Amino acid sequence: MRILLAEDDHETAEFVARGLDELGHNVVRAATGIDALHLATTEPFDLILLDRMLPEMDGVAVIRRLRAAAIELPVLLLTALGRIEDRVEGLEAGADDYLVKPFAFSELAARINALARRGPINAPITRYECGGLSLDLLRREVTREGRTISLQPREFRLLEELIRNAERAVTRTMLLERVWGFHFDPQTNIVETHISRLRAKLNEGDKPDLIETLRGVGYRMRPCEAD
Amino acid sequence: MKRISTSAAYRIAFVYSAAIAAGIALLGTIIFFAMHVAFTRQLDVLIQDEADTMTLEYRSGGLDALTTAINERERLSSRAQLYYAVFTPDGRRTLGSLDTPMPQTGWQEVTFSAPEGSDTGRALAIDLPDHRRLVITADREWLEQNDRTVLITFVVGLVAVIALGVVGALLLGGYLRRRLTAIGATAEAISGGDFSRRMPVSDRHDEFDQLATVLNSMLEMIQRLLDNLRQVSGDVAHDLRTPLTKLRNALEESGRAPGGVEAQRAVIADGIGKVDEILSLFAAILRISEVESGRIRRLFASFDLSALITDLAESYAPALQEEGRTLTWSVEPGVMIDGDRELVAQAVTNLIENAQRHTLVGTVVTIALERVGTNARITVADSGPGVAESDRATITKRFSRLEHSRSTAGHGLGLNLVAAIVALHRGTLQFADNQPGLVAEMIVPA
Repeated sequence: MRILLAEDDHETAEFVARGLDELGHNVVRAATGIDALHLATTEPFDLILLDRMLPEMDGVAVIRRLRAAAIELPVLLLTALGRIEDRVEGLEAGADDYLVKPFAFSELAARINALARRGPINAPITRYECGGLSLDLLRREVTREGRTISLQPREFRLLEELIRNAERAVTRTMLLERVWGFHFDPQTNIVETHISRLRAKLNEGDKPDLIETLRGVGYRMRPCEAD
Repeated sequence: MKRISTSAAYRIAFVYSAAIAAGIALLGTIIFFAMHVAFTRQLDVLIQDEADTMTLEYRSGGLDALTTAINERERLSSRAQLYYAVFTPDGRRTLGSLDTPMPQTGWQEVTFSAPEGSDTGRALAIDLPDHRRLVITADREWLEQNDRTVLITFVVGLVAVIALGVVGALLLGGYLRRRLTAIGATAEAISGGDFSRRMPVSDRHDEFDQLATVLNSMLEMIQRLLDNLRQVSGDVAHDLRTPLTKLRNALEESGRAPGGVEAQRAVIADGIGKVDEILSLFAAILRISEVESGRIRRLFASFDLSALITDLAESYAPALQEEGRTLTWSVEPGVMIDGDRELVAQAVTNLIENAQRHTLVGTVVTIALERVGTNARITVADSGPGVAESDRATITKRFSRLEHSRSTAGHGLGLNLVAAIVALHRGTLQFADNQPGLVAEMIVPA
C-alpha cells in the first residue's frame, strides 16, 4: 500500500515508517499540514496517517480541505489528544478512524488493514460464506455446516466484525469500539469473555477453531477452507 | 493628607458633601434674588399707593391738604421711610424734606441729601394737576437690611453645612477606608502565603459583609482545589514510583539475565505492560479532568439508558460468571436521559468492576435501573464485605484506596471518575449499606 504519513515528530515518524516498511508498505512522509495537503491532492495514495497537531495547518483542517475537495481516501487520525471532544471533532471532520498516542504498533497495523479493506461501500453485503460457516446479516442467522447456531446479539456482532476483516487482525480495542461503542478500556476483558463464548458455540462438536488468538494483538478469522 | 487625597472613600465622601454644599449655595442664591425682587416690587407698590393717595389729597383739599398730609407723614417714622418733595414748575422745592434737584417724571433712582450724608432711593415723580411735581422716594435702607439678613443667614447656614459635610466626609471616608483596608490586608496576607486567613465579617450583614462572605467562600474553594492539587500531585508521584521502579528493575535484570533472546523478550513484554499501566493512570487522570471541566456537556444527546444498562449487564454477566460471581439485573424499559452514553457506560462499568474486584467468589452483584419521579436511578449492589460508613465519603476521592485494598489492582481513580461523571450529568452518587455489602446509587435527571 502507498501510505502518506504526516507527522512532525521525527521519532514517532521514524517508528511508524520503519514498522510500515517492514510490513511492505510504501511510505511517503510529510512534516507539515501544508505538505501533507499538497501531497494528498497531487499524488495517489491508498491511505493517510495524519497527525492531529501539525505545523502550518492542523490535521483536522487538512481533513476538511481533503473532504471539501472530494478526496475520499481513508484517513486515520493520530493524536496525542485523548479528549472526547477531540475525537468527536476529528471524526466529524471526516476522519475514518482515530488512534490516540501512544499506541502499540500492532494496533496501528490492524487499523490500517481494516481501513484499506473497507474501500468504497457500493452494495452492502448481506451474506458471508466462509468455509462451512455462513452468516446472513439480514436474517441474523449463523449456520456451520448446515447446523444453525444461536448467538446472542453481541456474539453475532463480534462474529460479523471478525468476518468483515477475515484473515486480518482485529484488536481488542477495535472490537470494543465497534461492537460495544466504547472508547475506554475496561479493566475486565469483556471481549475475551465474549470471544470464548462465541468460539465455544461455533466449535461445538469438536470442529476446528475458526478464530485465531493473536497474543498481545487481538483475534483473526482463519482463512476459509475450500469445500 | 496624601492618604486622604489618594483615597477613593474620602474622595467619594468629599465630592458628595461638596455637591450638597453647592446645591445649598445655589438654592440660597435663588432665594436671595427672589426675595430681593419681591421686596423691591413691594416698595414700588408702596410708593405708587402713596402717590395715588397724595394725588387724591391734592384734588380734594388742594395744596393745604397735601402739605398737611406730607408733614404728618414725615413726622411719623415708619419701617419703610418715605421722603416727599413738591416742586413748582420752575424747579423750586416748596414742600417736603427730600433734598434733591427736580427729577423727570416717572420711576427712577434719585440721590438726595440726608442728615447722615448723601443717599439714593427709589423714586416716583408725577405731575399734579397744576403742574407742580410730586416726588416720593423710599429709602433703600430697609431693603438692604433685609438683603443683609437673608445673606448672613445663608452664609452662616452654608458654612455650617460645609463644616458638617467635611466632618461627615471624614467619618464616612474613614469608615469605608477602614472596612476596605481590613479586606485588603487579609487579601495581602493570603497572597503572602497565609491561606488560613479569611475576610472579616461583622454581624451587620451589610454590603461589605456580603462581599466578605462571597470572598470567603471563594477562598474556601481555592483552598480545597489547592489541597486537592497538592494531594493529587503527591499521589501521582507516589503511584508512578512503584511501576517505574519495577520497570527499572526489570530492565536492569534483563541486561544481565541469562536465557538469551526469549528471556529478554519476556522482560520487554513485561516492561511494556508496566509502561501501559502508567499510561493508563495518566489517561484516567486526564479523563477525570476533562469530565470535571464540564465541556463535554456540549456533546450531550438523548439516549436510551435502559438499552445501555441492559447491554452492559449482558456484556458483564459472562465475565463475572467466569470469575465465580453472579450478575443479575432488573431494568425498567424506555428510560431516556440526556448525557454522554459512553461516559455513563464507563461510570456503570467502573461500579460493576469495583463490585467484582472487592468481593469474594460467590458474591451476587445486582444492577437495577428504575425511573423515580423525573429522575433515573441506577443502583449497583453487591453482597460483599461492604465499606465502613466512615469510609464511604472518602472512597470517591482521587487516589483513595482503602488500606486493605492497596494490594489489589487499580489506581484508585475509578470511583473518582464515577463521581465526576455523575456530577457532569447533574446527578448524585451515594453509597450505602446493602446489608451485607455495598450499594452504589446514581441518580441522574431523566
